[in-house]
Amino acid sequence: MKQFNYLAPKSLPEALAFLAEHGDSAVVFNGGTDVVVRLRDNLIAPEYVIDIKKIPGLDTITFDEKTGLTIGACVTMNEIGANEFVQKYYPYLGKAALSVGSKQVRNRATCIGNIVNASPLADTGTPLLANDAVILAEGPEGKREIPIREFFIFVRKTALKKDEIVTAIRVPYHAGSEGVYTKISRRREVDLSTVCATVVRDGDDWRIAFGSVAPTPLRLVKTEELLRGKKLDGALIEQAAELAKTEVAPIDDVRASKEYRVTIVGLIVKRSLEALAK
Amino acid sequence: MKYQVNFFVNEEPVELYVDANKTMLTVLREELDLTGAKEGCGAGECGACTVIMDGKPVNACLVLAPELDGKHITTVEGLADRKGNLSPLQEAFIKHAALQCGFCTPGFLMTATALLKENPHPTRDEIKAGISGNLCRCTGYKRIIEAIEDVAAHTEGGERK
Repeated sequence: MKQFNYLAPKSLPEALAFLAEHGDSAVVFNGGTDVVVRLRDNLIAPEYVIDIKKIPGLDTITFDEKTGLTIGACVTMNEIGANEFVQKYYPYLGKAALSVGSKQVRNRATCIGNIVNASPLADTGTPLLANDAVILAEGPEGKREIPIREFFIFVRKTALKKDEIVTAIRVPYHAGSEGVYTKISRRREVDLSTVCATVVRDGDDWRIAFGSVAPTPLRLVKTEELLRGKKLDGALIEQAAELAKTEVAPIDDVRASKEYRVTIVGLIVKRSLEALAK
Repeated sequence: MKYQVNFFVNEEPVELYVDANKTMLTVLREELDLTGAKEGCGAGECGACTVIMDGKPVNACLVLAPELDGKHITTVEGLADRKGNLSPLQEAFIKHAALQCGFCTPGFLMTATALLKENPHPTRDEIKAGISGNLCRCTGYKRIIEAIEDVAAHTEGGERK
């Protein structure tokens, strides 16, 4: 690990003022489960590491039916999994959060960190994408709300500017909506997703998001369009599963081949729709 | 530049000046001679460096040294009481021969100590899920699980009754 300066600002304005000046040579530090590994491997060599965990107000989850769920930047994966509102209204998001790393990692890792890292296989990416979550960022020009679909740009590239900090993620609430989260991985814990997905049913509307099948987590809009307003039956489910396979563009890597991933996408769509059709 | 950190290790107050680019694991092992926590992978996958920080198990290899300021850390060296009596879990690991080379053992002990505190009577499946962030490459997990089950059956949260 190369030398760097560590700062732990005690307020958001203090952190933002520092980023405004040193944003180019600074990395924002949260749970550290990704950043420490990248520092250690010299994949990043910032001059400043800005720990945001001392900033008050970023460690809470709130919920009301109008605003939905608001997850503060420093809320950990285990806290999301244990949260009563998550369990009641977004159980599939809780399942996704608890599928990250190990218990030890989840005591430190945050959902916001997972999103800002913008890995194509971010486990909490698909439940948020399938709910049209909104990223709440703050920078020198004030607050900004970024729809998650515009947030992910490419592998590890987001719409966040160097002088901005994500303070929270807001997940809209849709009464009666239900979802299914699926993670396919080589082992059940402490593994990255080979493919991950969330399918949400909101009345007659379907929202389908996949991870690890494209450079960013992806919504399968054609498949959603095919299903919209229709009554699900076996034939339609088969048709949706086939269409879904054409909407993804996975690659071969150490975890699986392209062909395997495409096949799995069809299977996940089929199983998720069957589970939600009941 | 050095950073002043004041924290507690095994209930003892510590004041140190640390480098930012060191991890908690390095500080524990090299500055405080607490070599129970081990570095296996250095990436949060093996759990050999597990310590309890403010009541929760974490990978010491993924915590930066300056973050220690204000924290309460328990390492494997802090499980025995002041007279040197081992904790029920440590005794159970010996009784069940739940170790072979011993490299992963401190990590397993810390994870299981935290598990039993949170869930004093876990099922076998809960134990398996609870320790899944710790890897053992020689004993196999069966005896480790049996040792934890034994303590769960005979204690309340890993403490002597």
